[in-house]
Amino acid sequence: MKKLLALLLALCMVFSMAACTSKPAEQPAEPAQPAEPEQTATEEPQQPAEPEKFVLNACIASEPETIDVSTISSVDGSTYVQHMFENLMKYQMVGENPADDPNMYMTEVVPGQAASYTVSEDKTVYTFTLRDDIYWSDGKPVTANDWVYSWRRLVNPETAADYGYFLDGIVKNAYAIYEEGSMDPSELGIKALDDKTLEITLEAPCAYFIEMCAFASLMPLREDVVEGNDNWTDPANIVVNGPYILTEWVHDSYLKMVPNEQYYDAENLGPDEIVWWLSDSETNILSSYQSGAYDFIESFPTDMIESLSASGDCFINPYVGTYYLYLNCDKIPSWKVRAAMTISVDRDNIVNNVTQGGQVPATGFVASGILDSTGQDFAYGVSELGAIYNWLSKTYPDADLTTYAGKCELAKQLYDEAVADGEWDPNTTVVYNFNTSDTHKAIAEACGHDWQTVLGMNITLENQEWATYTNGLGEHNFGVARLGWIADYNDPVTYLELLVTGNAYNYGLYSDASYDEAIASAKATLAGPDRDAMLYGAEETMFSEGGFPVMPVYYYTNMYCAHGLKNMGYTPMGYFFMQYAQPNQ
Amino acid sequence: MIIYILKRIGAALLTLLVIMSITFFLMNAIPGSPFLTEKSTPQQIELANKKYGLDKPLIVQLKNYVVNYLKGDLGTSLKMQEGTPVKDIIFHQGKFILSIKLGLWSLAIAVLIGIPLGCIAAYNRGSWLDGFLRVMTTVGVAIPTFVLATLLLATFAVKLGWLDTISGSLESAKSMIMPILSMSFYYICYVAKLTRTSMLDAINQDYIRTARAKGVKRNIIILKHALRNSLIPVITYLGPVTAGIITGSFVVESTFSIPGLGKYYVQCVMSRDYPVIMATTVVLSALVIFMNLVVDVAYKVVDPRITLTNKED
Repeated sequence: MKKLLALLLALCMVFSMAACTSKPAEQPAEPAQPAEPEQTATEEPQQPAEPEKFVLNACIASEPETIDVSTISSVDGSTYVQHMFENLMKYQMVGENPADDPNMYMTEVVPGQAASYTVSEDKTVYTFTLRDDIYWSDGKPVTANDWVYSWRRLVNPETAADYGYFLDGIVKNAYAIYEEGSMDPSELGIKALDDKTLEITLEAPCAYFIEMCAFASLMPLREDVVEGNDNWTDPANIVVNGPYILTEWVHDSYLKMVPNEQYYDAENLGPDEIVWWLSDSETNILSSYQSGAYDFIESFPTDMIESLSASGDCFINPYVGTYYLYLNCDKIPSWKVRAAMTISVDRDNIVNNVTQGGQVPATGFVASGILDSTGQDFAYGVSELGAIYNWLSKTYPDADLTTYAGKCELAKQLYDEAVADGEWDPNTTVVYNFNTSDTHKAIAEACGHDWQTVLGMNITLENQEWATYTNGLGEHNFGVARLGWIADYNDPVTYLELLVTGNAYNYGLYSDASYDEAIASAKATLAGPDRDAMLYGAEETMFSEGGFPVMPVYYYTNMYCAHGLKNMGYTPMGYFFMQYAQPNQ
Repeated sequence: MIIYILKRIGAALLTLLVIMSITFFLMNAIPGSPFLTEKSTPQQIELANKKYGLDKPLIVQLKNYVVNYLKGDLGTSLKMQEGTPVKDIIFHQGKFILSIKLGLWSLAIAVLIGIPLGCIAAYNRGSWLDGFLRVMTTVGVAIPTFVLATLLLATFAVKLGWLDTISGSLESAKSMIMPILSMSFYYICYVAKLTRTSMLDAINQDYIRTARAKGVKRNIIILKHALRNSLIPVITYLGPVTAGIITGSFVVESTFSIPGLGKYYVQCVMSRDYPVIMATTVVLSALVIFMNLVVDVAYKVVDPRITLTNKED
């Protein structure tokens, strides 16, 4: 018995010793410290003269896959990059509050590292002159060659960047380099005329090119820092040209940034430290916010939205994105059935009772927030009804498409016609695939319910985890499948080109020659009434006879909670800017 | 004993090779790719496959894994921390150590509280204390970990503000209380129930009756005679549980923002980060195999009648 007790005690000691002595390598001494700046201040009363450090604690996502400028593709990764790097153009706060929050400002694209730019007469050659006072964080001057290197790296197939296609058809030779592999990256249409002058040649005029010059994947990079160093994004190695520099990265825990003293506007920056906490647990994120450890959060349980809104620090921003369903044109060959499905879903019910985040029922595929050349919201540019209903309202003038009951009536008529014409077997069971998520499931159930009750269709819901799900999309192995698309830039093409014949994202296998032609023409035309007409026409074609390959459900919104902060910036592309944030006492 | 242990180590290496092969073929059999995103194109996936050697035949890829593992190279992450060596992720970033730290503390608490509670319940069979412990342990094994963790978080961190919501790297006692309690509570209750049952069985044996008849004190009977025999089922249970508990818990690590291996293991499977899946599986399997060996040796210590080797050995 004594031996047994001795063994037990020894085991306990081993456990305790192991637990006490095992300190993870590269861990900071006190990682919880950033969450409690007040404590630090109170523990050091001997330095009362020193102003209190302003540490901003934010949590917008879990660990980013990467913060490498060329290979990032996520909104959170891009947000971190936007704080560390600055492009030719940048997002600057303007005096508009997107939500009811007076502390959050919209942003517009203005020159950043570029002092100015000129455009050739044919609008295909942009010449940027860089500012004189721009330096990397190690003190070396920022030069035009830093963009040349970065852009070539992005389109180089060997980089295998998610956004490698981003310059396709826009910057000269990008398509041939990235998609065809027939040219060397050095032949990309970008060159440094001298250290401070950058010339970019386009394939054709591009209405949104200047806006693209603020995009995270096109930030400048220093060849001597990046080349041959797989760990160049580590805090010890990273060299940046933006307002903040990364000083600590505890993986799956937090990223810490401090002001970059070499930044030309360093003296006006806000936080002394920005700590981006990395978490995917909504419970923990909300608890940390409520306990005061976080000042700003972007995700929290849906069922808490109501009480958070009531507390006065939960706000809803516009977000340029559409939640939509692919209706597989092979599995549901009758356009009348697809149209019937599209208009028979009660979108108000979905946004009010399922998602509950202030989302807006979709009336077209192009997300609300994308503007035409006159500054009009493209989603409502042609009529109040929206693109889904424009052609139907002209073709079926007797139908009342302003009410849900009227839409259901027309839906039933179209469905019955398809059945009567032998285009559709009413006994067919349509498989609706969605990736694992309570919200996607609830939306699928709501849609399935509407299709069953209004049209009498047979629907089977199938839930798949993400990787299996996306694989199935690529194999067009579904009847109905969900997806969300966030705009890459403010132009309708970012949506409409997805459904061009042969496009990798045309999962529903839609094909219409006139549609393809309209998009091709619009891409080669400068912004203006003609181009607007082409794009509006293309979207109407998508929702007309032979079409309805997608069923837009709602336009996204971006919810956040913030307390004790002011001077935050936001762009409807989903990026928040904290570099000029101030404590709001 | 030494020959037995050496034999077990040899078998363990073979087992690891089999586990590697099975894991490799299973992860390649399930649909998906580490490079699939909402915005990835087939061309991008093809390019990425080429870059990381995923375009080679499966058997060649498996051979590369085995050869690299023998050299101590666990590969680089394809998705979770793209381009970062997996060895750095598991060991240098402290994920493995952190999960072990959390697990060992939880296990120690489960054993040190669960076994005495079981003894007390058995010793006071039929009393109000026994009744209370039975209710508590029954409720304890029924409460899901995420419910308990959320409850603790809401009460002690948000409402009362006594503890930190972010446990991080478990540097302070304050940050360890809630995760350890959440993780160990189920095991405390289960071990207590198991100990009580086996202890009651032992108490009714003839040799205990004999000891009582000889006037041996109750405490001595329990601690010296009954407990030792009643520990065998507990040890049998603790073996595999130990491996599971110290390899991390997805729920606890997520809820308390602990950057441990348990959370990472689940996430790497979801994102098809093949080298990370392989490495974590091999590391965790090695741990399970090791813990089973420890349990077998512990049997021998607790009950000398058990023989580990054949007579020829």
